[in-house]
Amino acid sequence: MSDPVLGMVMLGSFVFVVLLGFPVAFTLMAMGIGFGYFSLGDRVFDLLVQRTYAVMANDVLISVPLFVFMGYVIERANILDRLFRSLQLAAGGLPGSLAIATLATCAMFATATGIVGAVVTLMGLLAFPAMLRAGYDARLASGVTCAGGCLGILIPPSIMLILYGATAGESVARLYAAAFFPGLGLALLYALYVLVLSMLRPSMAPELPASERNLPFVTVLTALLTSFVPLAVLIGSVLGAILFGLATPSEAAAMGALGALLLAIVYRALTWARLKESVFLTARTTAMVCWLFVGAYIFTSVFGWLGGHHVIEDIFVNHLKLNTVTFLIVTQLIIFVLGWPLEWSEIVLIFVPIFLPLLPIFGVDPILFGVLVALNLQTSFMTPPVAMAAYYLKGVAPPDVRLTQIFAGCMPFVGLVVMAMTLLYIFPEIATWLPSYLYDLPTGVQGQDLTILPEGGFKESDEPELPPLR
Amino acid sequence: MQAILLGIDRLSGFIGKLFAWCILVLTAVICYEVFARYLFRAPTGWAYDVSYMLYGTLFMMAGAYTLSRNGHVRADFAYRLLPPRRRAALDLTLYLAFFMPALLGMLYFGWNFFLASYGQNEASSVSPTGPYIWPFKFVIPFASALVLLQGMAETARCVICLRDGEFPPRDDDVREMEEVALASASMQHGGQPAKGSTP
Repeated sequence: MSDPVLGMVMLGSFVFVVLLGFPVAFTLMAMGIGFGYFSLGDRVFDLLVQRTYAVMANDVLISVPLFVFMGYVIERANILDRLFRSLQLAAGGLPGSLAIATLATCAMFATATGIVGAVVTLMGLLAFPAMLRAGYDARLASGVTCAGGCLGILIPPSIMLILYGATAGESVARLYAAAFFPGLGLALLYALYVLVLSMLRPSMAPELPASERNLPFVTVLTALLTSFVPLAVLIGSVLGAILFGLATPSEAAAMGALGALLLAIVYRALTWARLKESVFLTARTTAMVCWLFVGAYIFTSVFGWLGGHHVIEDIFVNHLKLNTVTFLIVTQLIIFVLGWPLEWSEIVLIFVPIFLPLLPIFGVDPILFGVLVALNLQTSFMTPPVAMAAYYLKGVAPPDVRLTQIFAGCMPFVGLVVMAMTLLYIFPEIATWLPSYLYDLPTGVQGQDLTILPEGGFKESDEPELPPLR
Repeated sequence: MQAILLGIDRLSGFIGKLFAWCILVLTAVICYEVFARYLFRAPTGWAYDVSYMLYGTLFMMAGAYTLSRNGHVRADFAYRLLPPRRRAALDLTLYLAFFMPALLGMLYFGWNFFLASYGQNEASSVSPTGPYIWPFKFVIPFASALVLLQGMAETARCVICLRDGEFPPRDDDVREMEEVALASASMQHGGQPAKGSTP
C-alpha cells in the first residue's frame, strides 16, 4: 500500500474508530503512531515527543487555561440570577420579552464563561420554567435557551477561535476581530426572529402582566448597573485590549481572570471552596483540551507525512472540479454533517487542518473560513444525535417537555445559522472589515506605499569609501 | 484490589490538583508582566519562559487526574447506550491496543528527550534570562508515567467490570456545573438518576 493510500485509510478508519467511544485524545495518538510506524519506524515516537513538547511550549495556547479559569470563576460568582432578572426587567415591554431576555442572558453569560453545558443547564433551571409559567410555547422556550447558550463558542473571546488560530497559524487577535460582527450579528438575528415571531403569534409568547412590565426606570437601571454592566465591562475590556493591540490574547486573558476574581469578591461569592473548585476544574478542562490537541497534532502530522493532503487536493481539484463557491459549500457541508456525531473540538482540531492547505488553491481567506466554521459549529450543538445543548436541556427540563419538542424548537435557529453563513458569504466584509481596518498597513494617500523608503534622504553609496591601501 | 485502584486515583488527583494551582501563579505572573510593562516601563525578561512552563506543566500533570475522573472527551453517543460489560470489553481492547503502546512510547522516548536536554544542561533560547529548560522537559516522561499508571488502573477496572457486570467506583471530587444541575433536576422531578454518568 502506498503512503497516500495509507493516509486515506487512516482518515477513513478514524471516523469509525472514534465512535467506539474511547477517549479521543488517546485514539488519535495511537492511530497516528500506528499508521506512522509503517512509514517512519521508531522515528514516529520522536515525532510524538516533539509534538507534545511543541504543544507544551506553545505561546498561543497559554490563553486556554486562563480563559477557562476566568469562565469557571464567573460561573460560580452568583451572577446569572441577577443578570437574567435585570435583562428581563429591561426587556419588559417588548413582545416576547422573556425569550429575548433569556437569549441575551445566555449570549452574555456564555461569552464570559465559554462553557456551553453550564449555561444551558443553569438557564434550563432558571429561565426555562419561568417562560413555561408565563405561557410560552415550549418549543420557542427551548430554542432560545439552546441557541443562546451555544453563542459562547462563537462570540470572542472564545476558546474555539484560539484553537483554530493555533492549528491554522493565524493571529488570534485577527480571528477575534473577524468573529466580532458575525457573532453579534447572529445574536441579533436570533433576537429579531423571536421579536417577529412573538408579534405574529402572540399566543406563543404572551405578554407579561402589567406589574412586571411597567417598572420605574430607576429600578431597571439599578438592576442593570449591578449585574449587566460589570460583566459587560469585563468582557469589553478583555476583548478591547486584544483588538486594539494593547495586550496579547494571553495577557488579556490573565487580566480577565484577575477581573473575574475581583468581580467574585465584589459579589461576595469568592469562598475558598469555590476557588478550589474553579482551579481544579480549570486543570481538568485544560488537560482535556490540550491532550486532545497533542493527539490531533500527531494524527494530522502523520497524515501530512503520508501525503494524505495530496489525495484530498487531487479529489477536490481534479475530480470534483470545484470552484471557490462549490468548494466552500462542500467543505461547510462536510463540517455540518460531522457536527452530528462529533463535538466542535474534534472537528476544529482534526478535520479543519485537512482543509487548510486547500484554502490558497481556491483563494479563500483562512480568517473568513475560520469564522464560517465557527458559525457552522453552532449547529453541532443542536442537531441530533449528539445535540449536546438539547440533551442538557432535556436533562433539567420538567419531565413533560419532550425531546422532540426541544429539537423542533432548535430547528429554526439552525436555519438562522445557515442564513447567517449565506449572508457572510455574500457580504464577506462583515467579517473582514474590522480586522483589515484595525491591522492592515495604511496605504496612504493616492495609493502611496508608506512602507518603502522615501525618495532622497537615506541614500547610501553602494561603494563604501575605504582608505587607500598602502 | 479496590484499595489499590482508589489509591492510584488519589495519587493522580493529588498531583493534578497540586499542579492545578499553577493557574493562579500563571495569572499572577502575566498580570505582573503587564503592570511592569505599562506602569513601570520595565518589562521582565523571565515572564515569557515562566508562563509557557507553567501552562505546559499544568495541563500535562493534570492528564492523569482528568483520566481518573473520566474527563477526557469521548465521542460516546453510541457507547453510552451500551450495557456496562460491552463498554468494558471495548475499553479493555482499546486500552491494550491503543493506549498502552502510545503511552509506553511517550514514556521511553520522552525520557531520552529529557536526558539529551539534561546532558547538555540546555537553557531556553527564547528570552534573555534563558532559564534551564531540562526540568520542564522532565514533565513529559513524568506525566506520561502517571497517565500510564492511571491507564493501568482503568484497564483493571474494565476487567473487574467484565467479571462483575458493573464498573467499580472511582474517586470523585468537584463536578462540572452541568452535572450538578442535571443531578439536582432529576432529584426534583423525582425521576431516576441522570443518564450519561459513564464510568
